[in-house]
Amino acid sequence: MFNALIAAMLLQVAGAAPDARPAIVSPPAELSGWTSPRPLDAGRTAERATVLTLGVAVAARLPSTRDVRYVVRPEKPGGSVSYGGVFAFTVTTPGRYRIALGSGAWIDVLAEGRPAISVAHGHGPACTGIRKMVDFDLGVGRYVLQVAGNGTANLPLLVTKLPA
Amino acid sequence: MIGRAALTFAALTLTAAVAAPWQWELPTGVTAPIVRPDNPMSAAKVALGRRLFYDADLSIDGTMSCASCHEQKHAFADGNTTRPGVHGNAGRRNVPGLANVAWLPVLTSADPRVTTLEAQVAIPIFGLTPVEMGMHGSEREIPRRLSRDACYRRQFRDAFPDRNGRIDISSVAMALASFERSMVSFDTPADRGALLPEAVNGKAVFARACASCHSGPNLTDGRFYAILPVNPVDRGLAEATERTADEGRFRTPPLRNVAVTGPWFHDGSARTLREAIDRHRAALDAGETTQVLAYLEALTDRSFIENRNFAYPDNPCGKG
Repeated sequence: MFNALIAAMLLQVAGAAPDARPAIVSPPAELSGWTSPRPLDAGRTAERATVLTLGVAVAARLPSTRDVRYVVRPEKPGGSVSYGGVFAFTVTTPGRYRIALGSGAWIDVLAEGRPAISVAHGHGPACTGIRKMVDFDLGVGRYVLQVAGNGTANLPLLVTKLPA
Repeated sequence: MIGRAALTFAALTLTAAVAAPWQWELPTGVTAPIVRPDNPMSAAKVALGRRLFYDADLSIDGTMSCASCHEQKHAFADGNTTRPGVHGNAGRRNVPGLANVAWLPVLTSADPRVTTLEAQVAIPIFGLTPVEMGMHGSEREIPRRLSRDACYRRQFRDAFPDRNGRIDISSVAMALASFERSMVSFDTPADRGALLPEAVNGKAVFARACASCHSGPNLTDGRFYAILPVNPVDRGLAEATERTADEGRFRTPPLRNVAVTGPWFHDGSARTLREAIDRHRAALDAGETTQVLAYLEALTDRSFIENRNFAYPDNPCGKG
C-alpha cells in the first residue's frame, strides 16, 4: 500500500537542485575571527567540555550524537546518525555574546545547568559561510555550549562578544 | 458549555483486540474521526508514532524530524514563512498546524489526492519538490536505523503484533498517522462559550463574512480557492489537476489555533493576522477586523499547546 503511494508521488516530482556552496566573503568586524578557524575536537560531556576562546573560531570535529552526554536534553536532539558536542567558555565582561555556526545545528547555552534565553537569532551575513547566529545577554561566569543535530562531523563555530 | 465524554474506540479487528484499546476523549457532540480499517488506533501505536514524530533519524543526515517544523508551541505549525530542507533547499509552503487533522478531508495545501495521513507521511520524508527530510533513494535506511534500537524493537512489537513487530516504512507511516490522529483540540474559549465581548461581536462578523468557507468544527470547508494572485512558481491545485481553472487555488485552511500558527497563507506571506484578513477583500471595516481578530484569538487551545501527551517523549520505554 505505502510503496505504491510513494511511487505514485515520486512520478510527479522533479529533480532537486544540487546544493550550492556560496563563495566565502569576509564577515563584519565583530565576526572577523570566523575566517581563520583552528581545528578542535568537541567534548562529549560537560565534565570534559572543550574550552573555547572568545573571538577565536574553531573548525570543530564532532563525535556521533550517540556518544554525547548532554547536560540537558536539547529541545531538538539530532538523530543517531547526526553529530554533536559539548563546549565551555568563560565570560569575564557582561554583555551580548553571539554564537555563529556554519550549519543549522541546535545550540543551548547553559549557566549552572540551566539554558540561557537567547535574545536574537538569524542567518549569517550572505556568502560568509555563517548559516546561523544566536545572541545571548550573559553575565560573568562559565557557560556550557551544547551543539546538537549537526549533519556532519565538522562544524565551523565562533563565540564572540558583540560591541556594546 | 462542553461536557467531556469518553468514546471507546470499538475493537473490531484482531489487531485492536490484541493491542490496548484507544479511548477518544472528545467533547459531547463530537464524533470520533474515521480511521482506516487497516490501521486501527491503539495506545501503543500512538506512543510509537509520538516517538517517531520527534526522531530526526527519519531524515537523511539525522538533523530533521517531523517536530523540527511542526512545533507544539505553534500548535504544530512552524513560525517561519517556509522552512528549508536538510540540504538547505528552500521550503515551498508554509507549515500547517496539526490540530484535529484526523477530521480534515484535505491534508495538504493543494493536493486533494492525499486523503490519508498514512500517505501524507511520504511527502516530507521522500519528497523532492522540495527536498525536506531527504530520504528519497534511501528507503531502507529508516528501518535499518530504527532496528538498531532495542526500545524501538519493543515498541514496534507492541504496536504491530499482527505484523510481528515488523519495522518498515509502512508501519512507520501507520504509527505516525496514529499519533497525528490523537492530536485533538476542542478546548478553546470559543468552544467553552467564554468569549470576551469583542470576540462575541467578532464571531458574528465572522459568521457573516468568513464562514461560507471557514465552516464546520475546524473552520474549513475543505475546498480550494484563489485568494491571492496566481504565482507561476506555485500553481496550487492546478499542479494536481492540470486544470487552468485551478491555477492559484489552495485549500481553505482550518483556523483552530490560527493565532499561533503564523505567518499565514500557503506561502507564509502574511506577516500578521490582520494582513491575512485584509487580503481576503471581505469588505470589513477596521473595527470589524479587530473584532474578528479577537474571535480568532479565542480559537487558541492552550491545553493543546501545552499537552504533555504530545511533547517529546523523554523515556519511551521506561527506566531500565
